[in-house]
Amino acid sequence: MAQVTPGIYEVQVDKNFCKACGLCVAWCPQDVLAEDDERYPFALHLEKCINCKLCERHCPDFAIEIIAPSEVLMIEDILAEGA
Amino acid sequence: MKVQTSFIVKEYLRPKMLPSTWCGGCGLGIIMGAIAQAVHFKGLDKDNVAMVSGIGCTGRMSGYMDFNTIHTTHGRAPAFATGLKMARPEMTVLTVMGDGDAMSIGGNHLIHAMRRNIGMVAIVVNNSVYGLTGGQTSPTTPIGGHTTTAQSGSFERPMNLEALARTAGAAFYARATVNHTASLTKLIERALDVSGFALVEIISNCHVLFGKMNQMAEASTMIAAMDEDTWRTNPTLLRRAHLPIRLTSPESPSAPVHALTEMDDVEDESRTWRGVIFERKGSVDLSKRYYNMLGRIREQQRAAEEMV
Repeated sequence: MAQVTPGIYEVQVDKNFCKACGLCVAWCPQDVLAEDDERYPFALHLEKCINCKLCERHCPDFAIEIIAPSEVLMIEDILAEGA
Repeated sequence: MKVQTSFIVKEYLRPKMLPSTWCGGCGLGIIMGAIAQAVHFKGLDKDNVAMVSGIGCTGRMSGYMDFNTIHTTHGRAPAFATGLKMARPEMTVLTVMGDGDAMSIGGNHLIHAMRRNIGMVAIVVNNSVYGLTGGQTSPTTPIGGHTTTAQSGSFERPMNLEALARTAGAAFYARATVNHTASLTKLIERALDVSGFALVEIISNCHVLFGKMNQMAEASTMIAAMDEDTWRTNPTLLRRAHLPIRLTSPESPSAPVHALTEMDDVEDESRTWRGVIFERKGSVDLSKRYYNMLGRIREQQRAAEEMV
C-alpha cells in the first residue's frame, strides 16, 4: 500500500464540461469539495484530499480531475507525445 | 486503479462532441468512462473495437466514443453487430442499448443474438423508463413505480432479463450499477474476456423523469439508493450451493425499488443481485465456429480435388 499524504493533490474542475449535478460533492468521503452559489464544485478543504478519485469515477461529464504530483509529469509526457 | 480523466477524454472520447447532451448527473457518462477504462485495462487497440448503438439516450454514446462506431436503427443494434462480427471476427464488438431499445422494440433481436451465442459484449443500460421520449413506462418499470404514463403507479409485471438470458443461451450475465463504479469497470473487463454473447446489465439513474416522480429527484439520492437496493453475489458460493434458477426480487427483478418498498424489511438475498450472475463454461463464439467450419470444408474440398 502506498502511503497516502493528504494535501499534496490538486483538484481541477473544467467548467465547460461540468453540469453542476452534485455527484462529486455527494461522494467525497473527506468533505474536500463543496458547492458554490451556482452549484459548481470547488475544493474547500484541499488539505484533506486523499486522492481516492471517487469524484472522478462518479463524474458523468469528465469535468473533475485530481492531479497528483508524480502524475503531473506523466500527463505532461502524454501531452508531449500527442503534440 | 483509475485512468486519468484527461487521458480518457483525449484517447477514448471525441472531445469536440463534449459536453454530452445528457442531463446533469446521468449515469450514462459514468458508464462511458467505465467502458473506456475496461478497454484500456484489457490493452485492446481502439481501432480494433467497434461500438454499435441503437436509438435512445444510450444510443448517443456511439457519437461520443472514439471507437469504430455505428448508430443504428431502433432496437436493431444486435442485428447490425451480428453482421459486423461475422464479417470481421477479429474485432471486439460492443453493443450499447437502453432498456427500451433492448427489451421492448429490440427484444426479438436480442433473443436471437443470445440464441446464436454470437461473440459480442452487450451492455444494457436499465433506467426503468423511456428517457428520451418523456418518461413513459418501459418493460423494466417496477410495479408501483410512477411514470408519466402510469401516474398512480405501474401495475405491469416487469421483464426479467436475467431469466431471459439464461433460457435464450447467453454465455455470460452480469449486473452492475452506476453506484459501484469500480466493479462496473471490472465486470465489463470480465465480459470482454468471454467467447460468446456476454450481457452486462447496468442499473442507471433517470432522476429527471423516473426519480422526480418517485421521491428521488436528486441524482445523488437515486444513485446512492442503488447500494441498498442491490446485494452483491458471491459467485463461488453460488456455484457450490447448486442453486436452481433463482430470480432476484420478485416484484422488481432488475430495478431500484428504494422509493417503492421499505428496504429494511427486505432480506439481503431478496434484493436485486449484482455481480456475475452466471457464466456458461466452454462457450464458443459463433463466428469462431463458423470460420472453423469453413476451414474444414475447404480442406475437404482440397483433399477431394487431390484425389481426382
